[in-house]
Amino acid sequence: MVQHAEQLDGAFAALSDQTRRGILERLGRGEASITDLASKFEMSLTGIKKHVSILEDAGLLTTEKVGRVRSCKLGPRRLESESAWISAYQQMLAEQFDHLEAFLERTKGNE
Amino acid sequence: MTHIVAPVPARALLSTPSDREVRMERIFNAKRERVWKAITEPDLIAQWWGRGNRLVIERYEFERGGHWRYVEHSDHGDHGFEGRYREIVPFERIVSSFEWDGMPAHVAIQTMTLEQLADGRTKLVSTSIFHTVAERDGMMHSGMEGGANESYEALDRVLAALS
Repeated sequence: MVQHAEQLDGAFAALSDQTRRGILERLGRGEASITDLASKFEMSLTGIKKHVSILEDAGLLTTEKVGRVRSCKLGPRRLESESAWISAYQQMLAEQFDHLEAFLERTKGNE
Repeated sequence: MTHIVAPVPARALLSTPSDREVRMERIFNAKRERVWKAITEPDLIAQWWGRGNRLVIERYEFERGGHWRYVEHSDHGDHGFEGRYREIVPFERIVSSFEWDGMPAHVAIQTMTLEQLADGRTKLVSTSIFHTVAERDGMMHSGMEGGANESYEALDRVLAALS
């Protein structure tokens, strides 16, 4: 995982956060303004801007100012974002198996 | 799946096969029947799949071709995952597609196999292969247009042969 993260530079770190994964998930369905995102994730504009700028630095997201509204959409680094997704998937699977293990342990007597 | 670009080695389009494969192996301290139940009964899946987040199983058609859809709900948002079953061999093997709403149409095929060990434990092996056109698109951005162009040329030849 460590090697992977290095290879992926910012992309993996950007995706390691649940809110940021949520933002990408939302943008996968279409563009959204900073205000839209802040209201969806129930965060302050400052808070959401921080996440957006991390995603933007990683190339996973681009923003464009249209009038007074800053609009966000998925970025051009498709390969990198996919690699980051594969790494995030790997991490998710590992966590799931940890939880499966814990579940099997706590239901042990019920066979 | 039909590999239309078969004349071009698919591997050439990817940096390494391992970059698009996730393999994970775990040994659980439980008999195979119990592990099988935990990974196939919706009430039980809901208790671990969401990794501590509330999981809503929106669809669960556990049969070949059947559709599954799970949504993880957390304080930071909802995450939808879905797929369809390609193969089910009771107590042994499940092959299914896997997709996350955040990366639409970036489909992985996940194969899970269970093996009963002599000591009463069970080995679970999960192999997921990510197979998407985005990898090819990505190569265009990373300056490896050559490989992508070759594959487009191969596709052109195939399309020409079909017309």
